[in-house]
Amino acid sequence: MAITTRQQDGFTMPELEYLAQCERVAIVPLHRMERLELVTGTVGPFRPPQKAVVPLWLAVMLKRASRCRIVAPDWLRYEHLRTLCCEEDQPDSLFTRLPHHYLEIAHVLLTNAEDDIVDAQGIRRLLQDLRETRQSKTREGLKMLNSLQLQMDNLSAAEINEIRPLFARSFDMLRRLDALAATGEQTQRQAHASDSHYSELDDTFGSSFAY
Amino acid sequence: MAGSSYYDIDDILAAQERVPCVLRVDLDGLGSAGSGGSSKVHRNARWALPLWMADQLNEEDCVDMGVSPVFSKRANRMYAASPESIQLRAVSQHYYQFGLLLGDLVPEIPGVLRNMYMQRVQRIARVAQQGHSLETLDFAQSLDKTEAAMLRVCQQAQGAITDWHQGKAYALRRAPAIQ
Repeated sequence: MAITTRQQDGFTMPELEYLAQCERVAIVPLHRMERLELVTGTVGPFRPPQKAVVPLWLAVMLKRASRCRIVAPDWLRYEHLRTLCCEEDQPDSLFTRLPHHYLEIAHVLLTNAEDDIVDAQGIRRLLQDLRETRQSKTREGLKMLNSLQLQMDNLSAAEINEIRPLFARSFDMLRRLDALAATGEQTQRQAHASDSHYSELDDTFGSSFAY
Repeated sequence: MAGSSYYDIDDILAAQERVPCVLRVDLDGLGSAGSGGSSKVHRNARWALPLWMADQLNEEDCVDMGVSPVFSKRANRMYAASPESIQLRAVSQHYYQFGLLLGDLVPEIPGVLRNMYMQRVQRIARVAQQGHSLETLDFAQSLDKTEAAMLRVCQQAQGAITDWHQGKAYALRRAPAIQ
């Protein structure tokens, strides 16, 4: 397939943002609107001031046209993020639960709907701290790599995308080393087996160790 | 050489590394190519040949291939003592590839390589995620080719997220033709 080397290693961030915009978010519409029948589902009639749940891309579009106000999701609040930050900072803790696309959703909302989010600057700072703590935890996860399996729960899509190239290549390298060790053991076992029976056939089994 | 693919450019470059060999036959007319000055090279002369040549000649019993000094027991012990501070580029530019090619000869190689790799890859990840500074520049120059590729890949991934945060990921500009 004709993709650039940059794209071969994983998703690009705009692609992830696009995928994240399928998530649903609550809005408060400002105008009345009838039912919208879209391919992915029906977006119900808008009766302000009742809240409605719509996909993120639609919310951003309406917001840009000043036809709605976005309600910040539960996890995008300063106190909640601060609690999560404290949890992450505990030594030896696992990753905290965050929505799978939290980075992208937060970015989109903070760019387009900054007036609808309380204390946007503080949230940005907290998100940055959270991201750095989680990154250092992925580095520790790197220590526990083996060639078979590594489990890291609660990583978000953008973070997985970030570590994918390094981890994939490390897995490859470890797998090749394991295969090498396995064949090495095999030839050694063969050599030992033949040692006990046919000592004159030693010369045919590989080169001599000069050191 | 088990596990090497014929067309892989990294394998080709790594197989250029020299291994010490002991000749088993007399050779005429190649004296100037080896270490002697005469035109005849006797058996049991020591020669450093590239791995691809040494392996083939070893199959045909013309030479006895030895272990390269890069992976000798003494070298392995020395490197295992402090994996993070070794200048791998000075030792061999294709350390890991070369080790993978020699792997079925020296049984300690997988363990040595794995130890070295796991230690250094953590430092690589840290350097990539925390950005460059003066000390890390030295480290970045001491990596061999595989590790340098990993560092580059990590930094690209990092840069992608930072660019996207600052809004530089999209680059939609009006084309000069329609202005």
